[in-house]
Amino acid sequence: MSDPLLSVSNLKVEFDTYGGVVKAVRGVDFEVAAGETLAIVGESGCGKSVTVQSIMGLIPMPPGRITSGSALFRGSEIIGSSQVDGRELRGSEVGMIFQDPMTSLNPTMKIGEQIAETLVVHRGMSNRDALSRAVELLDRVRIPEPQQRAEQYPFEFSGGMLQRAMIATAIACEPSLLIADEPTTALDVTIQAQILDLMKELQRSTDMAIILITHDLGVVARMADHVAVMYAGEVVETGTATDVFYASGHPYTHGLRAAMPTNDPEHQQSLSPIDGSPPDLFAPPPGCGYCARCPHAVSLCADQPPPEFQLGEGHAVSCWQHHEAAPNPPAELMGQTAAGTAR
Amino acid sequence: MWAYTGKRLLQGVLTVWFIATATFIAMHNVPGDPLMNDKAVSTAIRANLEAKYGLDRAVFPDQYLIYLGNMVRGDFGISFTQQNRLVNDIIREHFPVSATLGILAVLFAALGGILWGALTALYRNRLPDIVIMFLVILGISVPSFVFAALGQLGLVQLNGLFGRQVLPVAGWGSVGHMLVPSLVLGLSTMAFLTRLMRSSMLEIVNADFIRTANAKGLPPTRIFLKHQLRNAILPVITVLGPAIAAITTGGFVVELVFAIPGLGRYFVEAVQQLDYTVIMGTTVFYGAFLVLMVIVVDLIYGFIDPRVRLE
Amino acid sequence: MAESTIATGSVKASDFAPLAAGRSAETISRPSLSYWQDAWRRLKDNRRALISLYIVVGLLLLTLVGPFIWTMDPALQDLDQVSQPPFADRSATIAAPYSSWDTSDVAPSADGLAVIEPPTSQSVRLSWESIPGSSGGYRIYRNIFPIGPERALGLPLGDVFGGAPRFFEDRLDLEPRTYYYSVVALDENQRETTAFLQRTIDVRRVITAKEAIDKGLAEDTLPVGAELRLTAHPLGTDYLGRDLLARLMHGARTSLFIGIFAPILYVLIGISVGSIAGFAGGRLDQLLMRFADFVVALPFLLFMIVFKIAFGIGPGESGIFPMLIAMVILLWPATARLVRGQILSIKNQGYVEASKLLGASSGYLIGRHMIPNTLGVILVTLTFAVPSAIFTEAFLSFIGMGVAPPTPSWGSMCNEGLKTMLTTPHELIFPALFISITVLAFNLLGDGLRDALDARMRSRE
Repeated sequence: MSDPLLSVSNLKVEFDTYGGVVKAVRGVDFEVAAGETLAIVGESGCGKSVTVQSIMGLIPMPPGRITSGSALFRGSEIIGSSQVDGRELRGSEVGMIFQDPMTSLNPTMKIGEQIAETLVVHRGMSNRDALSRAVELLDRVRIPEPQQRAEQYPFEFSGGMLQRAMIATAIACEPSLLIADEPTTALDVTIQAQILDLMKELQRSTDMAIILITHDLGVVARMADHVAVMYAGEVVETGTATDVFYASGHPYTHGLRAAMPTNDPEHQQSLSPIDGSPPDLFAPPPGCGYCARCPHAVSLCADQPPPEFQLGEGHAVSCWQHHEAAPNPPAELMGQTAAGTAR
Repeated sequence: MWAYTGKRLLQGVLTVWFIATATFIAMHNVPGDPLMNDKAVSTAIRANLEAKYGLDRAVFPDQYLIYLGNMVRGDFGISFTQQNRLVNDIIREHFPVSATLGILAVLFAALGGILWGALTALYRNRLPDIVIMFLVILGISVPSFVFAALGQLGLVQLNGLFGRQVLPVAGWGSVGHMLVPSLVLGLSTMAFLTRLMRSSMLEIVNADFIRTANAKGLPPTRIFLKHQLRNAILPVITVLGPAIAAITTGGFVVELVFAIPGLGRYFVEAVQQLDYTVIMGTTVFYGAFLVLMVIVVDLIYGFIDPRVRLE
Repeated sequence: MAESTIATGSVKASDFAPLAAGRSAETISRPSLSYWQDAWRRLKDNRRALISLYIVVGLLLLTLVGPFIWTMDPALQDLDQVSQPPFADRSATIAAPYSSWDTSDVAPSADGLAVIEPPTSQSVRLSWESIPGSSGGYRIYRNIFPIGPERALGLPLGDVFGGAPRFFEDRLDLEPRTYYYSVVALDENQRETTAFLQRTIDVRRVITAKEAIDKGLAEDTLPVGAELRLTAHPLGTDYLGRDLLARLMHGARTSLFIGIFAPILYVLIGISVGSIAGFAGGRLDQLLMRFADFVVALPFLLFMIVFKIAFGIGPGESGIFPMLIAMVILLWPATARLVRGQILSIKNQGYVEASKLLGASSGYLIGRHMIPNTLGVILVTLTFAVPSAIFTEAFLSFIGMGVAPPTPSWGSMCNEGLKTMLTTPHELIFPALFISITVLAFNLLGDGLRDALDARMRSRE
């Protein structure tokens, strides 16, 4: 891997709430290189969105607070840098799209204007030039009749169209990184594929990096080069998509896979859900966050947080079962894939 | 848009009909014969009135139909207590005064409400917010006539302080006469709108599209003006219709305290003297005016909010 | 990522004892509270709302119990103490009954305007020699403010012609306070000249021994010159000498009665109409809601007045009930719409569908789901309806369209107080303060209740 475009280490984020302090992100590391796609996977509330939004300065502070960590973009620190720097990064170097396109666009502003706005601010273009560029961008994201569409308001667009418009806004300044926060969750399945294909195609032609936040393993399989699996505010497993999918080293990754439907007729089996729910992040457990739900949990897991074990080049897992002293580690975690992995 | 306007106007006409009918029914339930009033209705006037309103005929449908016919033609009749004075003349003479006062008050209230509301949201939980919200709670809790009295007291003090008349204490005629009464009249509505604007602003701060605007790296002033403020004003506009109604009737008190010759003061006088035609005429006129205002506000809203405009 | 402080090497195989299967994955660490318990907890945490609740309870106590503690008759006129501010001096001296002034032995006064005999609230007796330039006579003025450079002399009391020395007796509504008397010379055409005398006079309050006994201030006949204290009026008196505290407490009965009962009545009617419309649906729903639309369109205060006239107030009636009925007629639709909307939305909720599928009767649905889920909203509506009803009463009474005198209400007291705002502001301030505090308390309580009862309503204001 070449020099990473964005490299995050030991990021911790907390929120002051009515009920106390929520430790939403508890020491997260990942990196992403130009031209590649990193997928951050995990269930709702595990801290995926907070991780990237806190780096980009989109978390209101207070109540939010970054207690430690660093994020290097092209080698320079962006956490704690002044507001203005963060602002110059956002929109120009880093584009973002969000989960619900229906509410993510200003309802009282024309689509074209909303796209052009970024260009006016970051590129210093005149309103007219920016608007004609906005039309080109709409064309680029495959919106038919872009000229007329630019003059319309968000409520006149369908969900898929709006997400395309969001993408057009995000790529307006040709960013080197696109952060897509659950970009397809609110869309119909057929539209999802179109949006993902569009993102892939844009990535190929511009060599931008993509951080894709999702809970949908299908989307991950389709898009990701690298995967970071998050659970309860921590990254529990990272690696290439192949490693994580076919040689999952963490019981949670396994649980996720077992809970995912497959269309392989040979391996049809009933889906097995993961029992229980994630721990309360008001008071995170002292040991492994997954301990309470883990079928392979041992006494150590309840007391000591597991360190990171390297399973291979770039494949790291935080689970005690990979410790050399573990007497009989479960076979399914040892990279020797059991049934159901070949897709 | 045209269909929508037409529909709203039709509804408005029906509403005015309902108002006129309710007024008719209410006034015909007044105990006693309105013409037997001791307020000295001369026999000549009495004969005229009987002929004009068909008072010697059945209340329903004859009198009602005559009444509706007169209303449709915009003829509100003759005053019972002021001889030879048409209700239409009274309205024509005094309504412009009330309207001027009301328009100024609505302007004060709307502009003030939007400004203060935006300011409180901007300085949330800091001193300006706390001070303004304290004043807002006062504004909502203190009756309008107390503001009117205080306003007048303030004028007396002001003039005393300068040893000459800076602003007139009562009456009507110049811009100086309008200033304090319209401010006083708009005050509680301003407080109400400030509260609404504040909560609307705070709701929008957390909206997804504001996050998008931030993600686009826009400067804070641009986000505030083009994204937050513009959307936050919409709910304020929707309540302007009822706000105009509140200000119009609130005008009664202000006109009374400041001795302003507006229609409100005339209405109150007519009520005290049981001047039936004036009461009925003004009620229906005010009702129609308010219905029209609500429609106008709705149409303006439609013009500002693209979602309504294009439906 | 590895933050573990222990070295991985120190981990032993004994640490890998499998944890028991079937252990509880979830522990519920927070206590479970019912809806109302939770609401009450949140309301208690809201200091503003709690203080407001205390104020509301205090006001109700004042209304219900107050008149039994402060038993002064609100209609009793204490003419010795008219328009007195709170904590005014209420000392008085016993004087002989009034006898007319025998002016034959009045000596000429050397220094301008002289006071003959001590000035009392019975009479002020003035005497003066003459003013150069007077040829027609003199005009006597009395002011309650110092006579400034603009020569505002105040109230003209009378003219005096002829005689020497000249004298004048003032018996007009004298109160124990400082007066500024002036005597202006008139020319032969009885026009005022610029020459005038003036004198500042402090008047003392006197009553006769008989009056003191009649008013229950003394047991026996007191000697002339004895000091005594008049009836106490903690908040002062109004322009007719009526006790303000007693009037405020009785006025609270009127204002709070209307303020609380009118909303209860129209909310109850609104609930009935709204639930009928919501449950029945179809034509009946359409009909009721159309009608509600029309009623909502009636300009409220205007029609309050029109209805008040229509009901009329007979002699000796207070006019409270016509006002109550007019409010009910005009204000039920808002609640009806709200309740209908709530019922329609609850009707389609999953839990109601589920309950129906499980065979719940409509009675059970109403009792278990509809009422508990709308009660919070209704309670909040009710709390906010109280201040607006109090305002309505005050507004109508203020323009003379409310309760009929002599029934006291806060609004009518404000109306009376406004006339004397410049000289005796307390007559306006006290009722206005009571209205404001009451409205404020109910508004803040409403805010608190809304926050406590419905977290979803919190962001809307």
